[in-house]
Amino acid sequence: MIIKNYAQKIQSLYYAKDNRLYVIADVPDLGILRSLGIVKNAIIYKKMTHKFGGPVLLMIDSSQIAIGKDIAEKIYVRG
Amino acid sequence: MAANKDMGEDAKAYKKSGIILLMGNPNVGKSVLFSNLTGIRVISSNYAGTTVTYTEGTFKLGDETYTLIDVPGTYSLDATSEAEEVAVRFIDSKPLAVICVLDATNLERNIKLGLDIQKYNIPVVYALNMLDVAKRRGYEINVGLLSKELGAPVVPTVAVKNEGIKELTDELKKVIKRSGISRGSCAYKRTGIGCDNCAAKRTGIGCGGCASCPGCFINYMNTWDRAREITAKVRKTSEGKVSFLDRLGNSMLKPWPGIPMAILVILFSMGIIVGTGKLLQGYLLGPLVNEIIVPFFRKLISSVVPAGLWRNVLIGEYGIFAIGFEWIIESIFPYVFLFYVVFSFLEDSGILPRLSVLFDSIMRKLGVQGGSMITILLGYGCAVPAIIGSRTATTKKERLLISCIVCFSVPCISQTGALISLFAGFSPMMLVLMFLLSFAEMMLVSTVLSRLIKGKVDPMIIEIPNLLIPNGKAYAKKLMLRMKNFLIDAEIPMLLSIVFAALFKETGLLDRVAVYLEPVVSGWLGLPKNAVIALILGIIRREMAVAPLLEIEGLTALQAFVGGTVALLYLPCLSVFGVLAKEFNTRTALAIALATTLNALLVGGLINQIVHLLMKLF
Repeated sequence: MIIKNYAQKIQSLYYAKDNRLYVIADVPDLGILRSLGIVKNAIIYKKMTHKFGGPVLLMIDSSQIAIGKDIAEKIYVRG
Repeated sequence: MAANKDMGEDAKAYKKSGIILLMGNPNVGKSVLFSNLTGIRVISSNYAGTTVTYTEGTFKLGDETYTLIDVPGTYSLDATSEAEEVAVRFIDSKPLAVICVLDATNLERNIKLGLDIQKYNIPVVYALNMLDVAKRRGYEINVGLLSKELGAPVVPTVAVKNEGIKELTDELKKVIKRSGISRGSCAYKRTGIGCDNCAAKRTGIGCGGCASCPGCFINYMNTWDRAREITAKVRKTSEGKVSFLDRLGNSMLKPWPGIPMAILVILFSMGIIVGTGKLLQGYLLGPLVNEIIVPFFRKLISSVVPAGLWRNVLIGEYGIFAIGFEWIIESIFPYVFLFYVVFSFLEDSGILPRLSVLFDSIMRKLGVQGGSMITILLGYGCAVPAIIGSRTATTKKERLLISCIVCFSVPCISQTGALISLFAGFSPMMLVLMFLLSFAEMMLVSTVLSRLIKGKVDPMIIEIPNLLIPNGKAYAKKLMLRMKNFLIDAEIPMLLSIVFAALFKETGLLDRVAVYLEPVVSGWLGLPKNAVIALILGIIRREMAVAPLLEIEGLTALQAFVGGTVALLYLPCLSVFGVLAKEFNTRTALAIALATTLNALLVGGLINQIVHLLMKLF
């Protein structure tokens, strides 16, 4: 799930380490994600991934968002 | 001030002139602001997507009366869901002005929507709401600068406390007045407010499209960049206080201690509803109905109406004045009231979205996503709002799945109340078994239908609101509105079904119909032939499929359980049928009605036959 990319690695948000800041590198073209500000180059803080296929919890600006596994796997972050 | 018109989707509403739209992100306080402006009570909750239809009301600004529309919450004008499509259609309908509610705790995303709205060249006034929460979190917002940057008035408000409403309406009046003089693309000319770079402000001449104005939002193709820029300018962040509720809210999102806490919340909620309901029933409403109200009417009617058919219809075994009070006031009302006391608290406190996150992986295995859990839980109150609420689902498959789960396996609270009363004479374990049966049915229905229904279910993407103590006044208003809706929407069909039951029984029609249905009711289900009336009344109201069983003397535990099972899984009531036909189509409504009826008779009958077989064997 980790793709080496120049200096910083790009990885799937779902598998990225918890409690860290990331920059969105690539995101599926979904209106709801755009609306919530989860767009390319947005800075997010990943809080945690729930076990057993649960969602990812992240902070963007001061909103807390939960994203289901299937989408979170397709969001790539740098950092 | 106005009549409440929760109209759903009506093409005529888009063609009205002189309307003012109330817009904003979901869960920013629009519905509360709407109530404050119009005096119309609207149900609002602490999670996104409460308003999936729009509500219309009127309010006065000086001598003029305007129509205000509470538009469903939208993060953008991209129309990513059905609710957002409604918002886009409204803004396309050339309204007179827009009140855009901004959440001060999430400025960037809210400003982005504001900028999207401004592209439509409609006069806008911003209500900067939740400023108190933002301050607590360490955000200091320069309201004057924000107003300049947006080129429109910004009024700080605390909607739940009714603060800033007068200032908001004053600004709205000014903006509407000015829009009569100058309408066009130049924000400065429309509002008289412009940023320091605004060419129109410097020269006093409208820029006519702002092609050369560096400060104007129109030049920013990427509104996200502009929203970030404005936020950085107007907001100072310091170390905010992390309150106990913030810490608790975060803990409730982690599996530990979140899941044990969630289980405790669910058990505690059920304890309050069932325990307090039984106390109210046993010590207050039961004696009141059986020792005071019914004897009073019995005495009164007996002295006026001579013995015979009509006296029996009024005060006999199925008499309107006997079962009308016993079923509705004693058996159903306390549970409905307590359910909404608990559910409204869970909604307003922000606990429900946390449950959605915790149980997302389980819900995914059932074929839906965690966010649907809120809609399904709403079904434990009444299936009608749950089916309408399923509009927040992003795919048709998910909507249909949620609606089927609710119709097949979720008892409404009136029905639960009737079931509690039915099992009261037996063992409390029967109620536990009934709920286990309901969960088993839920799993079966979702597993089978998620494979049968074509299409996909989108994964969960939800915003988690802050955990907070509900505002007492807003909470009480909401509870009163829900009880009023229950009394109007449910009591009338209930009373009608009681009148029907009384006539049906006392005219002897029941005995004649019972002969035809006896093979099913008595043979297959093992119920007394009088139970036929439950099956017939259950078509009108779901709880009426249980209530008549309360009147049957000598009912065994097995018969009570089988009767309860049939009622639980039986045909959705007439209102549910109507909503299904409206939200989907008549064919779907008929298919669900037929499938639930057959399923109820099959499962109820199988339980009866298997238990009898086991009794014979052992």
